[in-house]
Amino acid sequence: MEAYAGDPLQGLAESTAPNKAKLIAMLTQQLQLDVPPPARYFLWLRGVLGVFTGHLDLGVTRQSRSVLDEIAVAIPTTVKLLTVSTVLAIVLGITIGVISAIRQYSRLDYTMTFTVFLLFSLPIFWVAVLLKQFLALKFNDYLQDPRMDYLSIVIISAIIGVVLSGFISGSRRRVWITWGSSFLATAGLLIYIDKTRWVLNPGLGFIVIGLCGVGLAFGFTYIFAGMQNRKALYAGLTSALLSVVMYFPFQAMVGANANFILLIAVAILMLSVSYFVGYFFTEIDRGPVIQVSMLTAFLTSLLTVIDRIMQTWHKYLTDPAVDGRPVQTISPLNSLLKTNDFWMVTLDGAVHVALPTIALTLVAFSGYVRYARGSLLEVLNMDYIRTARAKGLAEREVILRHALRNAMIPLTTLIAFDIAGILGGAIITENVFGWHGMGSLFNIAIQTQDLKLLMGTFAITAFLAVMATLAADIIYSALDPRIRIGKK
Amino acid sequence: MKKKNNAEVESISVGENAIANRETEGLTQGQIIRRRFMQHKPAVAGLIFMIAFTIFMYSASGIHLGDEKNPINYQGWWPYTITQITAANGAGNPTWAHPLGLDRLHIDYFALVSRGAEISLMVMVIIGGLGGLLGTIMGAVSGFFGGWIDAVLMRFTDFIITIPAILIGAVIGFRVGNLGVFALAIFLGLFSWTGLARLVRGEFLTLREREFVDAARVAGASNIRIIFKHILPNAIGVIIVSVTLLLAGSILTETGLSYLGFGVQAPDVSLGTLINAYQAAFNNSPWLFWWPGVTIILIALSINFIGDGLRDAFDPRQKIRIKRRQLKLESAKTRPGK
Repeated sequence: MEAYAGDPLQGLAESTAPNKAKLIAMLTQQLQLDVPPPARYFLWLRGVLGVFTGHLDLGVTRQSRSVLDEIAVAIPTTVKLLTVSTVLAIVLGITIGVISAIRQYSRLDYTMTFTVFLLFSLPIFWVAVLLKQFLALKFNDYLQDPRMDYLSIVIISAIIGVVLSGFISGSRRRVWITWGSSFLATAGLLIYIDKTRWVLNPGLGFIVIGLCGVGLAFGFTYIFAGMQNRKALYAGLTSALLSVVMYFPFQAMVGANANFILLIAVAILMLSVSYFVGYFFTEIDRGPVIQVSMLTAFLTSLLTVIDRIMQTWHKYLTDPAVDGRPVQTISPLNSLLKTNDFWMVTLDGAVHVALPTIALTLVAFSGYVRYARGSLLEVLNMDYIRTARAKGLAEREVILRHALRNAMIPLTTLIAFDIAGILGGAIITENVFGWHGMGSLFNIAIQTQDLKLLMGTFAITAFLAVMATLAADIIYSALDPRIRIGKK
Repeated sequence: MKKKNNAEVESISVGENAIANRETEGLTQGQIIRRRFMQHKPAVAGLIFMIAFTIFMYSASGIHLGDEKNPINYQGWWPYTITQITAANGAGNPTWAHPLGLDRLHIDYFALVSRGAEISLMVMVIIGGLGGLLGTIMGAVSGFFGGWIDAVLMRFTDFIITIPAILIGAVIGFRVGNLGVFALAIFLGLFSWTGLARLVRGEFLTLREREFVDAARVAGASNIRIIFKHILPNAIGVIIVSVTLLLAGSILTETGLSYLGFGVQAPDVSLGTLINAYQAAFNNSPWLFWWPGVTIILIALSINFIGDGLRDAFDPRQKIRIKRRQLKLESAKTRPGK
């Protein structure tokens, strides 16, 4: 493949520079063009195999920079770009897919199926431009003068009402009640946001966080354990309480010089505390109780962090480098912003990554919905599900413990590949949004016929793909004891 | 959660079976599939749209084949071409004469979009056909013979999977020169059979163990005959569904490649190159940006729906959708008299 990707001397051969012959000779020597292609491949391979002796050498690019350095620069960018969207797509996609499968042939199912097909058919470069145009520019315009008219409040509330009532099953009356209450709640919230200019100086405050924590505790108890499981509810509420209590020390502890290691440490602390909360609340059937407790603690703490970022918003917005137009359409960071404040930098990264993340999530999400729905429906038709129902288990238990676990098996392959794909980069997305990650490196390599760069990025991606397949196989056999690797 | 009592559940399931049985009574497999497909409304809508759309787009510019000595020309019904600069004034807003407006060079935009759609459709069909054929053959041979043939073919498949489409586009662009869309489509097709091959292989692996294959072998059928006459018809559902999805994917691949500049090259237009050229024109002339994207979505969406309908039709385990009223009638009939 290497030799067929074009003639690197072509550009020079057509040039009219007086020192043409000399330049050609130099380039020939630099790129070892005097060695025939297969031999050149082995020279390259020797450098790659150096990985075992600790000297990985992928050669140099056309600009005489080390390929390894270029890749080392590109990888963090790409990881930043793709991690959030991949995780979001997996979580949202599987959740929606599962709901859609449980409510097969309901209004929600039909709507979701249609939406998913629509998203499936969207060319990402087109969506990206639309997002740039509508989300970024319009939102920035809106921030210049944050006032909503009543018509848009009504429309937004009505849409959110429709979405929320779609998740509710049952009689027509119940649907309308849900719609009405969510309509009123959203409208009230929007009017409050509008009147207080919340978008210019947002924040949640510990009361809202506390309420959300309690709501999360109830919600997760309902989903994972059932309301009659009081132990789970109490464990969830305790975790929520603990997280809210953490609010003040957290605010005091993290100043401008915070860093990610500190945040991760806090997260691990919260998770282990909530694990023990769940552990000590009950002695039998600890699983769901611990799940409720940990999820509540994690999300409530996440809200605390988001609150801290929101407090930086005003400062960020009024910074001369931002000038009240925060959502950016290109490049991963604002180079004009001169600050060492950890929260400012984080927020800056967040507003830059927002658009590509939305675009990538939209496209990747639909696949997960499709697969999760299909695989859960298949499992729900199995005999052991009938057995589980027949022995009188609650529908929640049947779905969460019997069906979902088995439905997840085929999805692990997809997840493993997508996670490996994070480092491969997203060529088109990076191109549209002007990021310089692995995808754009690959693109540049092809466009400038830079073989070493091409082979280097290619080798890394291929290596990751192989690792992903291996990981998927191992997870597969762990999840499904019937599968044995290496035996027929 | 609503609880149904046992008798009701039983009578409903009896009702479901009765309806399902009556619907398939006395029909051949093909008729059942066709009927199930026809019941899938979005799929039928997609199919009708695709046929109408293809005819509409291809008849717009007419057919121009043959070389310079013996040209075969059928003038289409649309008066403008992609090279003809019209005499209209202004910014090129959509008018009655030019419903999709004009581009920057005052070329009729409908002509450009329909040419792009034609190319996308053609590329799609070639990739789908070639990929489907190669994938079926590879998968069939690999799954049927097994052993070292299987191992070699599957490693070869793994190797092909790692080659990204963008690289193929680039290699064709630089090495072969601009051979036009046709060569691009063929090369892309040569590399797009991998997913299907794996699916077909899996299908063959299970089917070749079945009794009817043993029966055919005992009766003295050759390998070729067993593959084509006995196993392939049983795997055709998987193949058709997968090829439809390949079609929908390949239009996105082609437009994506063209968007990046590796696909369809300059004198020809593709929906991807149109979007790339006019993505900055959003504020002044939004129609230049909207139409190519909408066209891509329409094509891909209707093909996806057709694929979904086919999957439902071919899958025997698929629960058929039964209207609630029909079910009530049925369970009233079978319920023991009270």
